[in-house]
Amino acid sequence: MSFEEFQNSARLYVIGALEPEELQMFEAARKQYGTQAEDFINQCYGMHEAFALSLKPAKSSNAIKDKLMSMVRERQNQSGAPS
Amino acid sequence: MADPNLETDPSSSSATQTSAKTIVAQVALEPGAPSDVDLMLGIQSEDADALSQLYDRYNGIVKALILRIIHNDTEADDLLQEVFMEIWNQAKNFSAEKGKPLGWMVTLTRRRAIDALRKKQAYARAAERLQAEPEQQPLAWVQNMTERDIHAGDTRVLMAKVISSLPEAQQQVIEFAFFQGMSQREIASHTNIPLGTVKTRLELGLKKIYDGLKELKDEL
Repeated sequence: MSFEEFQNSARLYVIGALEPEELQMFEAARKQYGTQAEDFINQCYGMHEAFALSLKPAKSSNAIKDKLMSMVRERQNQSGAPS
Repeated sequence: MADPNLETDPSSSSATQTSAKTIVAQVALEPGAPSDVDLMLGIQSEDADALSQLYDRYNGIVKALILRIIHNDTEADDLLQEVFMEIWNQAKNFSAEKGKPLGWMVTLTRRRAIDALRKKQAYARAAERLQAEPEQQPLAWVQNMTERDIHAGDTRVLMAKVISSLPEAQQQVIEFAFFQGMSQREIASHTNIPLGTVKTRLELGLKKIYDGLKELKDEL
């Protein structure tokens, strides 16, 4: 697999879109290209942020946060951690 | 799919080097506000206020992502709470050397939302809606953008511009792959598009997004 082909596969890999047989070839190329491959894969994860940031933020009720923080503080009390 | 920050093993030094090269800019912060990494460190120290601030900063984005996947507001609220509880519980697994907090949160959120989608067997219903969506909302991905939203420096708008610049056919397959967690074969089956065409569209679309974001990096 050329590095350009590896790059194409890496972009599919980070969104979980590689088919099983492609994954095997991808992992082999990943080992072959070593650090260069890992660097590229990490850069590809930036696309995850981009997809999320492209969406218009959605509103949620304050009750969700209240419930969340209540659960967190309850857990802290159980574990004896400072609040 | 294995986000380096969602793995338990420490990352290689190469990940440290590349983290500084991360493509996407974050949400703009008020002067003096703690960075995302500061907040994650606070959460790792079980500082509930840090979680509160992280929630305030990103709940809108996280919920939007969940909604994009499961299409149900009530379920999205439940999942939003679960995701931030997981952020609290799993914060110890986050390392700034492996990537940015938002990337970690998005990967975690997407995984949880796709799991929820499949577990609740809502997949078929969502798929039916999505099948109709391209006709009703050709650019549903960047929906609801108003004039008020469009101003210089708005990261969301810049991201949306990159994505909306793709041909619709490429947007569609990326939508199915990223937001619905479909494999190439599932997309091919769902859309009646040949597998090879799905692969080509995915590869071309993702490359354009990747290249577009690299260019944006200099502008942001």
